[in-house]
This record gives sequence, C-alpha cells and structure tokens, in this order.
Amino acid sequence: MGGVQLAAGEPEPARLLLRLEGVAKEFPGVKALQGVSFDLRAGEVHAVCGENGAGKSTLMKIISGVYQRDAGEIVYKGETVHFTSTHQSEAAGIAIIHQELNLVPHLTVAENIYLAREPRRGFLVDRRRLYADSRRCLDRLGVDIDPHAQVRTLSVAQCQMVEIAKALSLDASVLIMDEPTSSLTEQEARLLFRVIRDLKAAGTGIVYISHRLDEMAEIVDRVTILRDGRYISTDDFSAITVDDIVARMVGRPLEEKFPAPTRQPGSEVLFSVSGLTRRGVFSDINFEIRRGEILGFAGLMGAGRTEVARAIFGADPFDSGTIALNGQTIAITDPRSAIEAGIAYLSEDRKGQGLAVKMPVDANLTLANMDAVANSAGIIDRQRHRASSQHYVDLLSIKTPSLSQPVRLLSGGNQQKIIIGKWLFREPKIMFFDEPTRGIDVGAKFAIYQIMDALAARGIGIVLISSELPEILGLSDRVAVFHEGRITATLSTRETSQEDIMLYASGRSRHGE
Amino acid sequence: MADITNGKPQEAMTQRKGLSDRQKDIIQKFAALGSLVILAAVFAVTSSAFLTVNNGMTIALQVTSIALLGIGATYVIITGGIDLSVGSVLALAGVVAALAVKDYGTPIWLGMLIGILTGSACGVINGFVITRLKLPPFIATLGMMLIARGVALQITGARAVSGLGEAFGVLGNGSLLRIESIDDQGFPVVTFPGIPYPVVLMIVIAVAAGFLLNRTVLGRHIYAIGSNADAARLSGVNVTRVTAFTYIVSGTLAGLTGCVLMSRLVTAQPNEGVAYELDAIASAVIGGTSLIGGVGTISGTFIGAFVIGILRNGLNMNGVSAFIQQIIIGLVILVTVWIDQIRNRR
Repeated sequence: MGGVQLAAGEPEPARLLLRLEGVAKEFPGVKALQGVSFDLRAGEVHAVCGENGAGKSTLMKIISGVYQRDAGEIVYKGETVHFTSTHQSEAAGIAIIHQELNLVPHLTVAENIYLAREPRRGFLVDRRRLYADSRRCLDRLGVDIDPHAQVRTLSVAQCQMVEIAKALSLDASVLIMDEPTSSLTEQEARLLFRVIRDLKAAGTGIVYISHRLDEMAEIVDRVTILRDGRYISTDDFSAITVDDIVARMVGRPLEEKFPAPTRQPGSEVLFSVSGLTRRGVFSDINFEIRRGEILGFAGLMGAGRTEVARAIFGADPFDSGTIALNGQTIAITDPRSAIEAGIAYLSEDRKGQGLAVKMPVDANLTLANMDAVANSAGIIDRQRHRASSQHYVDLLSIKTPSLSQPVRLLSGGNQQKIIIGKWLFREPKIMFFDEPTRGIDVGAKFAIYQIMDALAARGIGIVLISSELPEILGLSDRVAVFHEGRITATLSTRETSQEDIMLYASGRSRHGE
Repeated sequence: MADITNGKPQEAMTQRKGLSDRQKDIIQKFAALGSLVILAAVFAVTSSAFLTVNNGMTIALQVTSIALLGIGATYVIITGGIDLSVGSVLALAGVVAALAVKDYGTPIWLGMLIGILTGSACGVINGFVITRLKLPPFIATLGMMLIARGVALQITGARAVSGLGEAFGVLGNGSLLRIESIDDQGFPVVTFPGIPYPVVLMIVIAVAAGFLLNRTVLGRHIYAIGSNADAARLSGVNVTRVTAFTYIVSGTLAGLTGCVLMSRLVTAQPNEGVAYELDAIASAVIGGTSLIGGVGTISGTFIGAFVIGILRNGLNMNGVSAFIQQIIIGLVILVTVWIDQIRNRR
C-alpha cells in the first residue's frame, strides 16, 4: 500500500481508488439516489454529508454490495465492478463499519472480529492465532478491551471500538465509516482519529459519514454533500465552512445552531436530589433544578450520568439518598411511581427503550398516559385518543403520513419527537433528556432544542445528558460535571468553557487537588 | 407548523409508499378469509355432505376447542411469550370438574367452575414463574405441561372418569334455539339442530377477547409489552402484572375448554388434549400473530382456527387419512407464515 514513492519534492499524484458516476437507485415509489457522483483517492478521508434520508446510507450500501445500482458506473481500482454481496466487496478490499452495531453478544470480542473468517488449523479454529491477531487489531486502536471478553459485557462505546477493529482486521483499501463516533466520548473519538490518520498515511481511502460536523475539521480532506438523493457538491474541506455545509445539506441557510433562549429560569428550587448513592455505580449525588431551568449533565461515557437518571426514574434501584419535588420528598420504587410523581425520562436508546416500534404513532404517543384517553373501566375513547395524538403531532410538527403509521418507518428526528410528545402528554414537572439528538440530523436537532427551551419556558425543569459539549454549552443554564460516579463540579454555563468542563470530567480540578 | 401533518402532503406520502399499512392489513385479512372460502368451496364440490347445516355445526363445534385455546395463545404470543401447557391444563381441569361432581357430589355448575378455576390457577403459576422467577416462557410452560398432565393422571389413576350423569353433558351437547319434538315412540324429532352451547361460548368469548385487545388500556399494554418490553416498562406499564394476566387468560380458557370437551364426551379423560397447544399456536400463527410478539389479532386467530377445522373436516369427508391431513396442515402453516413474512419485508 502507499505505492512506489516518487522522488522527493515531486508530489505523488493521488491514486484514484474508487469512482462513482451517475449512480441511481430506486425503491418502490422512492427515488433514493439519482445521478450521484463520488470519488475516493488513496490516503484521503472523504466525508459524505446530508440530512437523514439524503441517501448517504443507500450510497454506502451500493458501494459495499448490499444493494445493486439501477444505473451508473462504479469503478474500483480501474475496473468496473458489480458487487452483489458484502462478502464480494470485502474480498475486494472494501470494508464498512455500520452505524448500527452488528455484533454477536454471546461470542467473545475476538470471535466477533474474525466471525466467518476464523483462522483455521484443519477443521478447527486456530484459537491462539485468533486471539493474538485480535489483540493486535485492538492494540492498533489503542483501546484496552480483552479479546476474551464476551461482547454482551461491553459498553456501547467499546462495541463500537470492536466494530472498528473488525474493519481494520480486513486490511481494506477502502474503509467506509458510518457514524463511527456517535456513541464515543470526545476522548475515544480522539483515539479513533489517531487511527484514521495512521490509515491515511498507509494509503487507505476512508469514506466518512457523520452528523458531527465540528469534529470533521480534524481529519476530513474533502466533503461531498447529498440532498434528497441528489449530488450537490464536492469541495476541499479547507475551502468550505461548516455553515456552508449545513446550508447546502438543508437547502437553506441556517443561522444558528442553538435557538436563543426564551426561558427565564426562576429562583425557586423545583427538584432536588441529595446523597443519592448506588454502591459501585455512583455515590453522593447532589443537585438541584430550578423552575424553568436546563441543567446539563456532562462527563465521559460511563461516568454515571445515565445511571443516575435511570435511578431517579425508578428504572434501576439505588441504595440511599432522597429525591424531593417542590420541597416534598417523593418515594420512587419503579418507573410508574416516578411518572406519577411527574418525572419523565427520554432514554438514550430510542429504539431499545423508548418506542414500541411496531405500534403506530398514536399508540406510542398515548402509551404513558392511557388513563387520560380511557374511561374508568379502561375502555379507550377512540375520539379522545385520536384528538390527543393529533394534538401532539401538530404541536411538535411530527412528519408522518398518518396516525396509524408504525413508528419504525419514521425518521430518527420524528421518532424522538414522538417520545417527547408521549411525555408531554403526561405534563411532567421534570424531564430527563438522555442524548436527545444522537443520530438526528441538523434540522431536526434545532427543532428539538427549540422544544426543550419552550418546555423550560413553561416552567418544566430539564436535565440534559449529552456527550457533545457544544450541545451542553449551547443549551443549558448550569452544568453538573460527572467523573467516575460523582459530581465533581456544578458550573454556571455562562462562566465556564469546554476546557473547564473537560478538566472536571477527567477528575482533575483547576487547583491541582 | 401544523400544515405538515394534514392535507395534501399526507396523501402524497401515502401514495409514494404504495399501499398503506391499513390497506395491507385489509388485504391480508381478505387473503386469509378468501383462502377459507376457497377451501369451503372445494370441499363443497368434492363432498355432497360438506355444505349442510349439520356439518356446519359440526365444524363449528370441532373448532371451539382450537379457537378458545387459540385466543389464549394469541394473548400470550402477542406479549412475546408462549404457552405450551394448555393441552395438559385442559385435561386436568376437565378431570377435576368430573371428580368434584362424582366423588364430592358438588352441583355440576360448581364442579365446572372449580374446573375452570383449576385452569386459572395453572395460569397464575405460569405467570408467577415467568414474571417473578424470570424463567423463559417456553421452559415455564413446558414444566407446567408435564406437571398438569401428571397430576391429571395421578388423581384419576390414569382411568377415565365416567358415569357422570346426563346433566354433565348439557354444556357440551346442548344447544341454543334447538327446536325438537318427541314422537310417539319417545324419540326426539329435530326440526332445527340449534346452535351448540360451545359455539355460543366461543363467539361470545372471541368478541369479548377482541374488544379487550383492541379497545381497552389493558389490550394496548399487551401489545406494547410484545413490541418493546423495556419501552413499556419505562412508560409506566405494569409489565409483570399484564404479562401474568395473559397466562391467566390462557389457563382459564384451557380450563373452560377442558370442561366443554369432557362434557361433550360425558366422560373425563386424563389423556385428553394431547398436543392441543400446537393447534392453538398454529391457529394464531396462521391468523397472522407473530411469534416475536407485538403483532396479532383475535379475528385472525379465529380465521386460523377455522382454516384448521375446515381442512380436517373436509379432508375427513374426502377420505383423506389422518396422516396425510397432518402433512397438509403442516404445509399450510409453513406457507401462510412464509406469505406473512414476504408481506412484512420491505
């Protein structure tokens, strides 16, 4: 790889690895891609940007052979190719890291990395080589994951790393990364970027898809923008601003990433938690939320932010501590008691824990408050059911063809709005938003920020858990920083910075304690 | 803000995606119903005795046990579970009812009530083992299947309980709106055979079960648990109680089926109902219930039960052996589920 080095001083012409010309793909009733062109040079990172539904994933699936194109040409290393399976594209040297994790929970890390490609000795798996090779892949990533560990024991971020290790093990010349950082912390993302730079230096071409435009500056060389299945532009990343990219993605200029706050946090304490402890997970958690305030929970993955929220919501147990709403201690034993007290929790795992995906829009919107649309005998009043659902569909601008559409067919942003609507229907006093914009495109993110601000303006207390510091800084009034199960600082957002927060999140403090 | 969700864009989106899910659902229903009609038409041609009022009642009577058990199976399967114990539970319930009447002299209605409650008790135990001891439903109800059958055999000494008196047979053999007169020699002359009580029971219960599933909060919670148990719990659904409820329904209906069956034979057989759970599951599956959970309807199961019942009856009348019948029903299950999967693929 890397080709023959030419004489010093004479720049090597970048070798073209992959070229797509006029690629089109149609699904029954939907033109997913039309006339899309794209090329990838050896040793570059080429980002593909676009909103959800712009055709990024379809394009990647065509390159990797999951789908077949209807029209156009794909030239890989100088030859026109027609891959009909990922097996073929992998054999040719094109690897893809999927957005959704494709790991087998009950196999070990090493067995997953080499799944269906196990090194063999006769009929048997060569276990020694399996684990040695896996160890090498993981070391190359610089992550501390035991190849013998079962995947089900790993965190989401660790699974993502295993997925990346798996792609690396293929020694691919083209590597497609679909949202590789969506569940990584800043620190872990940094590790990944280091690996990407190594791969670039080795001549690998990388197609990079991400919603986090800010992080792209570190690694991306060129950027291609798609909108509604059409090719918009390709530019050198240094010649274009993030604002331009966003404007082209959404087809209109986007002034602000965060809405100007309309809320005015009150001074009275609405909700307070003191001494909350769950042995081995978090200890002595104290915080207060004022009426109409957004409190950010910052910290590294595994610092205990989600665990604290889940415990307060009654989804997980805790050992000691008190929770008070409006100055009165409330007893929380399970999610039902928390919901009845006026607490709502929007899970970070939308499909896994937030939505009944096979059920229609209206059934999901009313799921947490069925009593309000039924009579005392538990019989659903269909008119009230329909009216209430429609109200939240309108209020939150949920884009759906009908109330009876199963939610699995909606976009991530609309799914998130449905979860928000579900909780609004309960008229909660406190809402926990756990990674509310993960995997959601720019336009929908802004809408969700607006909704959060509007809710706070109505006097609801909001906790925002986010791994994206700009989001915390752009949205919250105060920030509680978590480190290893403790709150190490509570800062006023206006008087703090990304660096400050990172410092507390990594367990150090300014005064070098 | 609001105009996105109503008016033209909505229509456009529906058209672009082709058929809406509602339309598909209707087509699916008609497909199942249609195959039922075709089946009946074919059998009507091949056998002259098929399309008669009497045979219709016979089929309905034969279908009652599959349909009643199928309704229970549908509830359980929608939550993502399975109930393998119903065949044994119905035997136990019937035997208990018969013994209560014969050995303890309880009135027949009370004996049958005890039988039905025996079924409910089995459901409670299933529910407890699954939701509290957290055993997989397959294992929990497999255990119950063996235990209930064992108890039924033990308390009867593996012998049939007979000599229950004619009154014990009324539930299984009587009918509503039966018109008959007694002729000179004392033999009854039947003007209209009436609607057998079991068929009346089946229809009433199916309607009630369908209503509960579609129109009540409890029904909605059953679907929610099968669609996503975590999301349901985090939305405040009492997953434990609702899940247990479905097993209690299944057990109770098994108990009722047992009483009806034993009453029809006026004899309680501890060996009755072997492998009925598979018929029940098959009827639900043919009717479009997904074993993964979250999907299924009572009307679908009802049609599924009739598909099985009509196939058996019609094939019998055409002299097809029981073994060939098994093969055909097996194929029907494979084909219907395959069609269902194609339909759901996108």
